[in-house]
Amino acid sequence: MDMNEIKEIFFQECEEQLAELESGLLKLNDGDRDPETVNAVFRAVHSIKGGAGAFGLDDLVSFAHVFETTLDCVRSNKLEPNQDVLKVMLKSADVLADLTNAARDGASVDESRTRGLVKELEALARGEMPSASGAPEVAPAKPAAAAPAPVAVAAKPAPTDESGFQPIPFTFDDFGDEPAAPAADPVFEVTFKPRSDLYAKGNEAALLLRDLARLGEMTVNCNMDALPPLEALNPEEAYFHWVATVRTSKGEEGIRSVFEFAEWDCDIDVRGLEENEEAELPMIPVPFDLAILDGDGAMTAEEHDHDHDQMGDHHEAAPADAPVAAAAAEAVSAAQTAAAVSQTARAAAAAPAAAAAAAAAQANNAANQAGQTIRVDLDRVDRLINLVGELVINQAMLSQSVVENDSNGTSSINMGLEELQQLTREIQDSVMAIRAQPVKPVFQRMSRIVREVADMTGKSIRLITEGENTEVDKTVIDKLAEPLTHMIRNAVDHGIETPEKREAKGKNPEGTVRLSAKHRSGRIIIELADDGAGINRERVRQKAIDNDLITADANLSDEEIDNLIFAPGFSTADKISDISGRGVGMDVVKRSIQALGGRISIQSRPGQGSTFVMSLPLTLAVLDGMVVTVAGQTLVVPLTAIVETLQPEASSIHSFGASQRLISIRNSFCPLVDVGRILDFRATQANPVEGVALLVESEGGGQRALMVDAIQGQRQVVIKSLEANYTHVPGIAAATILGDGRVALILDVDAVVAASRGQSLKPEIALAG
Amino acid sequence: MAAKKNATTMKLAAVLDLNEATVLHRAFLDARGKNITLDASGVERAGVPCIQVLVAAARAWEADTRTFTITAISEAFQKTLSLVGVNIDHLLAKESH
Repeated sequence: MDMNEIKEIFFQECEEQLAELESGLLKLNDGDRDPETVNAVFRAVHSIKGGAGAFGLDDLVSFAHVFETTLDCVRSNKLEPNQDVLKVMLKSADVLADLTNAARDGASVDESRTRGLVKELEALARGEMPSASGAPEVAPAKPAAAAPAPVAVAAKPAPTDESGFQPIPFTFDDFGDEPAAPAADPVFEVTFKPRSDLYAKGNEAALLLRDLARLGEMTVNCNMDALPPLEALNPEEAYFHWVATVRTSKGEEGIRSVFEFAEWDCDIDVRGLEENEEAELPMIPVPFDLAILDGDGAMTAEEHDHDHDQMGDHHEAAPADAPVAAAAAEAVSAAQTAAAVSQTARAAAAAPAAAAAAAAAQANNAANQAGQTIRVDLDRVDRLINLVGELVINQAMLSQSVVENDSNGTSSINMGLEELQQLTREIQDSVMAIRAQPVKPVFQRMSRIVREVADMTGKSIRLITEGENTEVDKTVIDKLAEPLTHMIRNAVDHGIETPEKREAKGKNPEGTVRLSAKHRSGRIIIELADDGAGINRERVRQKAIDNDLITADANLSDEEIDNLIFAPGFSTADKISDISGRGVGMDVVKRSIQALGGRISIQSRPGQGSTFVMSLPLTLAVLDGMVVTVAGQTLVVPLTAIVETLQPEASSIHSFGASQRLISIRNSFCPLVDVGRILDFRATQANPVEGVALLVESEGGGQRALMVDAIQGQRQVVIKSLEANYTHVPGIAAATILGDGRVALILDVDAVVAASRGQSLKPEIALAG
Repeated sequence: MAAKKNATTMKLAAVLDLNEATVLHRAFLDARGKNITLDASGVERAGVPCIQVLVAAARAWEADTRTFTITAISEAFQKTLSLVGVNIDHLLAKESH
């Protein structure tokens, strides 16, 4: 594994830590005061700092350090995490994410914003509450009732703990090392007795002592009484134990946290010493500068050989590597922390660099602890998925040729094939499950968007997310972020009213945006609801008339008017803002969703808000479809779109206008759409009585009966992109390869339904796919 | 020849981890009775299990009244020893015997 790969793993790990950080801060924002939540937040920042140090990412380290220090104040109950404090913290999390991205891609960061936040964080650490002057970025029109009045923590003297300790202002001039503890810090006596398990599990007493030494000023006494004669000695046993005195501001909690991950394998006793109380034992002072030991990861048998292999490389270069190694140790403890948090071996595997050393040790521990995970290159998974896709096609071809040669269908080959089909299906499902990921990361990104746009527009908005653990194919997740961002911005910028307007209408001045995900009949449904003003239908209608999207006398239902906002170039914003884009509008969103094989619709209630509903396939690789014949062509209709199939009778077909036909189904009429005609497969309309009608439900367009000539069967097909292999075809979503080796087109039901609605919405068909 | 047979120089490995503790222990058992000179100049990482072996060996050599000395020591090893409260004296067989 080369350095770049290790670095890449570090950045992946950072993403997870940032997600952890954000979700923890949001929980705190919701009033969660569980110390474990605070700890998780702290650990996330600490892990990033540690890893960043290993790679010499100084900007990231500096900022993370300041952030971590402030979080430490929260952790030690010196700072009340009220909403004002959390606002600064959430913004800091955003900056931390920016700095991480900058380190990864070399992108630039807003330095003044970073500097501003460093000042705010430092002020918080000193016990000063954020104020308008101290927080230049706070929204100008902050609604009075948006947040509870700041708790008067700042006005009070900082709380003291039992030992009379008062927090003192920190200086951040030197981010490199922990500042030497001032003389006023309390002194603790720590007795540390490792058990042999400690070493067997890859932990190392020297590293724990090193971390202890980093808390402040330390002296140590090693008790060697238990050491047996050489011949009786078991080299893997723990014989030494230590008594150390540590002068530190971190308190007993800080000391115990050093041993947090080894507590089962050692005995720890911590007691406070009186100011003039001297340790009774002869103590050896521990040097302050232990940077040289930082390459000294927790070592295990597994990495032993590996290390020896590499020895030749860094032996000579050791002094030069020292600074890098310094931070590496942090990475080690970061890895330990992360592993403990996530309880998976993943954290260990992801531990950066230096961390190679600690990683193996942690892998051991973490692997023993809980469900195991591995990181796999996405390309490998995709290759597997492609191969399984080919397997499905091949199996279908094989089945078909067996059926053709074995008309009675009783041969053992035929029965074996059915089992093979079952097996193939299971393999496919399992492979697909590998790619399934929770939508959580995307949802978490949205909370940042809401925060930023709300700040820019002076609105107060609460984002509520639901069902964030709903899983969907990774490709879908990756491509979901952009349209969702656009929609969230729209919702905050245009949907939610200003606090004043909301109050005037008797609403809560704080607007709510609700983002939810759930599974429904083999698809994922993502809903984005706001409690804003809703769609102004009069304005939308007028705009559509002005833009020649509809005729002035067009008779459209409310639902159809609402859906006009998805028409290309449609924008009702009176002024173009930086936030929702330059009027590119919802057509782009719709196109992105359609490109994912999804559908989007809107429901709006004036004065009460709008809800966008997106229905997306769980995977872009396979589809359950009904194979049909239309004008001699074989098409596949996605099964999820079909409500029912029926054989029309002459008596149920009614003409309407010049060319429209309706079919009466259980006392209601439904427009009949000749798929062959819409797709220009034939010049004239087919006789409905000779075909089959597929009753389909389209997003926002109600039900339609699609006329096809015949149904061939129902089967799972492997989706092949038409755009990637050929070019976009209106009305067609994708293609597939059938059992006989022929290519069949997969129908884009929504596009066909939209096209059937008539001339006015015809351009929509060009958007499909 | 005799003197040569009876004295040995051991260069400590760069990584003195748990595995190395076993290796080192065996090496000392094998070298019992010889005068030993340790070269710790190449030590980059040292763990407590190895240090325990070294201290036990120093005590054994002291009991055997053989020499057990260290010629060179790396900064990393030195700092690790300070950190774990082990004096360099603990690693030397006292000459007084």
